[in-house]
Amino acid sequence: MATYDLTQRIAPNLDRHLVFPLLEFLQERQMYPDEQILKSKIELLNKTNMVDYAMDIHKSLYHTEDVPQDMVERRVEVVARLKALEERAAPIVSFLQNPNSFQDLRANDQHYNLQMLHDRYQIEALYQYAKFQFECGNYSGAADYLYQYRALCTNSERRLSALWGKMAAEILMQNWDIALEELNQLKEKVDDPKSFTSPLNQMQSRIWLMHWSLFIFFNHDNGRTLIIDLFNQDKYLNAIQTNAPHLLRYLATAFIVNKRRRPQFKDFIKVIQQEQNSYKDPITEFLACVYVNYDFDGAQKKMKECEEVILNDPFLGKRVEDSNFATVPLRDEFLENARLFIFETYCRIHQRIDMAVLAEKLNLNYEEAQRWIVNLIRNSKLDAKIDAKSGTVIMEPTHPNVYEQLIDHTKGLSGRTYKLVGQLLEHAQTQAAR
Amino acid sequence: MASRFWTQGGSDSEEESSDYEDDVENEGVETTTQTAGSRYLQANASDSDDSDGQKRVVRSAKDKRFEEMAATVDQMKNAMKINDWVSLQESFDKINKQLDKVMRVTEAEKVPTLYIKALVMLEDFLNQAMANKEAKKKMSSSNAKALNSMKQKLKKNNKQYEDLINKYRENPESEEVKDEDEESEEEEEDEDEEFEEDPDNIRAGSGSDNDDDDDGEEAEDTNDSGWVRQTGRRDKSIDKQFKNPSEITWENVNKKFKEVVAARGRKGTGRFEQVEQLTFLMKVAKTPAQKLEILFSLISAQFDVNPGLSGHMPINVWKKCVVNMLIVLDILTQYPNIVVNDMVEPDENETQKAADYNGTIRVWGNLVAFVERIDVEFFKSLQSIDPHTREYVERLRDEPMFLVLAQDVQEYLEQAGEFKAASKVALRRVELIYYKPQEVYDAMRKLAEQTDEGDDGEKAIEEESRGPSAFISVPELVPRKPTFPENSRTMMDMLVSLIYKYGDERTKARAMLCDIYHHALLDEFSTARDLLLMSHLQDNVQQMDVLSQILFNRAMAQLGLCAFRVGLVAEGHSCLSELYSGGKVKELLAQGISQSRYHEKTPEQERLERRRQMPYHMHINLELLEAVHLICAMLLEVPNMAANTHGAKSKVISKTFRRLLEVSERQTFTGPPENVRDHVMAATRALTKGDFQKAFDVINSLDVWRLLRNRESVLEMLKAKIKEEALRTYLFTFTSSYDSLSLDQLTKMFDLSEVQTHSIVSKMMINEELHASWDQPTHCIIFHDVEHSRLQALAFQLTEKLSILAESNERAMESRTGGGLDLSLRRRDQDYAAGTGAMGGKWQDNLSYNQGRQGRSGFTGGGGRSLALGQAGGYSRGQLRGSGGYSGRAAAARGSQMDGSNRMVSLNKGVRV
Repeated sequence: MATYDLTQRIAPNLDRHLVFPLLEFLQERQMYPDEQILKSKIELLNKTNMVDYAMDIHKSLYHTEDVPQDMVERRVEVVARLKALEERAAPIVSFLQNPNSFQDLRANDQHYNLQMLHDRYQIEALYQYAKFQFECGNYSGAADYLYQYRALCTNSERRLSALWGKMAAEILMQNWDIALEELNQLKEKVDDPKSFTSPLNQMQSRIWLMHWSLFIFFNHDNGRTLIIDLFNQDKYLNAIQTNAPHLLRYLATAFIVNKRRRPQFKDFIKVIQQEQNSYKDPITEFLACVYVNYDFDGAQKKMKECEEVILNDPFLGKRVEDSNFATVPLRDEFLENARLFIFETYCRIHQRIDMAVLAEKLNLNYEEAQRWIVNLIRNSKLDAKIDAKSGTVIMEPTHPNVYEQLIDHTKGLSGRTYKLVGQLLEHAQTQAAR
Repeated sequence: MASRFWTQGGSDSEEESSDYEDDVENEGVETTTQTAGSRYLQANASDSDDSDGQKRVVRSAKDKRFEEMAATVDQMKNAMKINDWVSLQESFDKINKQLDKVMRVTEAEKVPTLYIKALVMLEDFLNQAMANKEAKKKMSSSNAKALNSMKQKLKKNNKQYEDLINKYRENPESEEVKDEDEESEEEEEDEDEEFEEDPDNIRAGSGSDNDDDDDGEEAEDTNDSGWVRQTGRRDKSIDKQFKNPSEITWENVNKKFKEVVAARGRKGTGRFEQVEQLTFLMKVAKTPAQKLEILFSLISAQFDVNPGLSGHMPINVWKKCVVNMLIVLDILTQYPNIVVNDMVEPDENETQKAADYNGTIRVWGNLVAFVERIDVEFFKSLQSIDPHTREYVERLRDEPMFLVLAQDVQEYLEQAGEFKAASKVALRRVELIYYKPQEVYDAMRKLAEQTDEGDDGEKAIEEESRGPSAFISVPELVPRKPTFPENSRTMMDMLVSLIYKYGDERTKARAMLCDIYHHALLDEFSTARDLLLMSHLQDNVQQMDVLSQILFNRAMAQLGLCAFRVGLVAEGHSCLSELYSGGKVKELLAQGISQSRYHEKTPEQERLERRRQMPYHMHINLELLEAVHLICAMLLEVPNMAANTHGAKSKVISKTFRRLLEVSERQTFTGPPENVRDHVMAATRALTKGDFQKAFDVINSLDVWRLLRNRESVLEMLKAKIKEEALRTYLFTFTSSYDSLSLDQLTKMFDLSEVQTHSIVSKMMINEELHASWDQPTHCIIFHDVEHSRLQALAFQLTEKLSILAESNERAMESRTGGGLDLSLRRRDQDYAAGTGAMGGKWQDNLSYNQGRQGRSGFTGGGGRSLALGQAGGYSRGQLRGSGGYSGRAAAARGSQMDGSNRMVSLNKGVRV
């Protein structure tokens, strides 16, 4: 069950705080013993400032009421530090909150404004404060401060990290729309060749970006299209292939769920083939079965495994509570489309198919299969007929008409000739004019 | 010649020098033995030899030297008169050279007064000239320059003779009365001397042997035996000089050392003798730094033993050289304050600083260069020794010895923080290891452990038996035994990552190639391929030096073999086809020289080529390589030919294979296969008929397969591939004869599983290679009759011709108006596909397949982003994958416009669709 769990591979590319949702999910799915997860949670929290939370977990882990001394000490320390930072950041915060303070700014002298802000209010403190807030788990506060900081700050490096921080905060607050905006901004920065000294750094940033974006894409309504847009870009695909092949799972899923991506899909199949020896899981194997080996029985088996994988993946297996009935929307969609994939390919190479076999291949019963096919035929997605007597589907041959071919071939010729003549005349005119 | 040794036989020098001479003789060098022989001959020689005329020439040598010197002094005087510093400088150099000769002739400790006189004169004149600023200003620039350099030279030179000069200045007359006389007198004196000489000569001519003999035979420009003799005698002098250990001081060792070093490379200097002298000096060295300095010279002298580029260093000298290097390292480890550097010129007396000196002592030297040279010599010796002899095997056993040295040097350099140099040494180690499969590596490891113990013992004995014990004895600090990790891969990883981190461009490229080779050797095809693609070596291999290109070819060949072993036929073929396209495999891999009928090579070329040859044990078996290449070609080409029987435009996958096939088809009678080609051709004939069993049997009978480690599995794979291709070929060839074909029948026919057959046939259907579809309830393939009628076929031909016409019109227009039809280029592909008629959809599909292929081969081309290896600088191995990036994907989009064929090797990634 845990064999296809990617948490271990994903976690290093995420912020500490972003790993929490993953752990929560794992806990919910009971994939690992509770104790293990709680322990890793504490470990995770040790480096953050969410000491209270860590204490709670500690209590539930060891079923005691007392907490270790170092945690208590740390709590005191954190609180003190928070105070200190708050004090330092107080002037700028109040400045920003006070609408009258804009009078201090000179309208046309940006340089002066910055200098003044820097001297009098210490923008830097704002950043530190925001960071500390984030560390403490106060994401909304951190997001606000970071937003303001970004507007004021001039240091590009700091701006970049503020951007990352803002995005993480938005993700954690589940403001997907805003997070998506941040993501796009960040992407621009990351793709800017000027912001990185070495290609390696840039690639690493891309990988981070992709990992973080998983949260957004699988929660945003439009995410499944966007994920293909982002991941399938050459630069990002390169990064995936080189350092994070496990991301192929998400791209593959997105491709399967998205029907309108055919041209890119073919290329993607090639990528999957190439990376077969560096990464595979049921989802990529499913694609390989259908599109490379034409092994439909294998594909069917993989489809079942895929279901497992989807349910156990923190991103893919998102649940939607519907009154008292929870569903995983992505699973249904995935299965439907995967079925379609199999069927499509299957039909391409068959002339006559037994309905019973087809039903079995599609993981449906006979009646359902029939209904499904009738629907396809009615939507004119399939050029076939059902022979009810023998219980078979008969495909209509799809050979292009010879005459049509001939016409196709010659169609372009006249256009070309016209163009040629046009150019010739034009040329002659210019010559004559000279 | 014999007569010249006459005196030697009689002189007492023989006994004393014999120790050394014997040593030399033991080296087995001809010249020495010759002289030895002649000496005996002389010893017994009768008096009649005495009257030999040659002696007259010989005997006058001493005086001749003096005479020459005097003449030079005159020249100097003349130059002084006209204030010509340029010629003065020349004369000064000349006189110094002559001094050396004179000293050798007279064998005196004391420098001749004539010389001192000249020095004094020169110094005075120089001071005068320097003082006269105005005159100096007026001088021409070259003259002034010469003056300045003269000043420095003289200063340096005079230091040596300070005492003498002072003494001379105090009391010139006591030395030589005539000195202060005018020039004319001087000349007279010279004449006198000359005059006096004559009787001497006459006397000699008359045959009376006198005590002058020893000097007499020192004619400088004599032949080989002359210098052997002379230096032998010098040994004696050294020995005399250092007979009493207590008398040895740093100064006289240094002086002697300078003298010996100065003689290096001169016409009359014996190479072996120099080695011997230096060995002796090394033992009597007073300070570690001095010892080190002498050792460096000794090692250089050892390299000098063999002149010319073609021959190799004698093996025993090589071994001694390695030992010396180890001693150097011992010293360096024991005295960490000694720094070896070849950038700065150290002080004269730097080496005087004793072992307990606190600061850093700089010694001139370049460890890396030495190590590299030793490696080169090792390589050369392997090149020239006949690989089928025992000698070759013996020589190969010395490899661990070098590996130890390299390891130690590398460690030392790493400690010293000179990582760049260390990476160079690491490369040498890599180059000794990369071609070794695990078995060979293990064998070497075992050998190293065994032999070294024996060697140590020998060495100790040798050490003891040698002459006087050294003053500076250094314990063996650096390990004399190489340490090898269990696994050759670990070792490679370790070394290669160091190189990637610190090496320069070429070092890195070579290390990368070795790395690729080694990965391929271990059947890790995907890793090797990724390394190759990401390093973008294919793009800039043309700019590399020949040796690196050879290494690249070797890596490619190994990669091809590896691909074949893992069952990737298409990849294997694309790796190897380039090597075989020119018919010059041997040259490309530097494994022998093939005769070309058409153009003769110049001797120079041949020599160069011979120098690059790989030693035998590094060879990649050419028969195996050819077999693999042809089999890959066969597996790809046979179904391809069957699919396109009647299209003249069918694309050719392997030209080499096609040509061979044509040749074999032209034969009237085909006999049983003899060589690799015959076998593959026979298999091809069987395969075209779909007879997989026979095809496999023929190929299986090749005896090159015994060279494969996992022979069974490879043959198993090969059988499966042959079956698959036979099935494809069969279907292509006989489609027209069937209306339907059951799966069962096919399965039985080709001994494949049902799933496999289904998968293969389905693939063909999807790719529209086969116009058929499955009838699922009956498990049959139904073939669609899509043959065009005659009229239709003709119509297609017509459209094709039309489009060609249109295109040629466009082209004509283009050439007249000068371009402007950008569109046509892009459109041509489509139109062409449309225009090719006859096979309509089929061809079109082929084309798209083509594009895909090209696109993927563009993968190797790496689009616009050619990240050089250099940019990978500082990446550790794990991260290296990131450096290049798969820029090929970018190229895929442009694939149809890119021509992958001009690349060295176009490597397709991914399985054939």
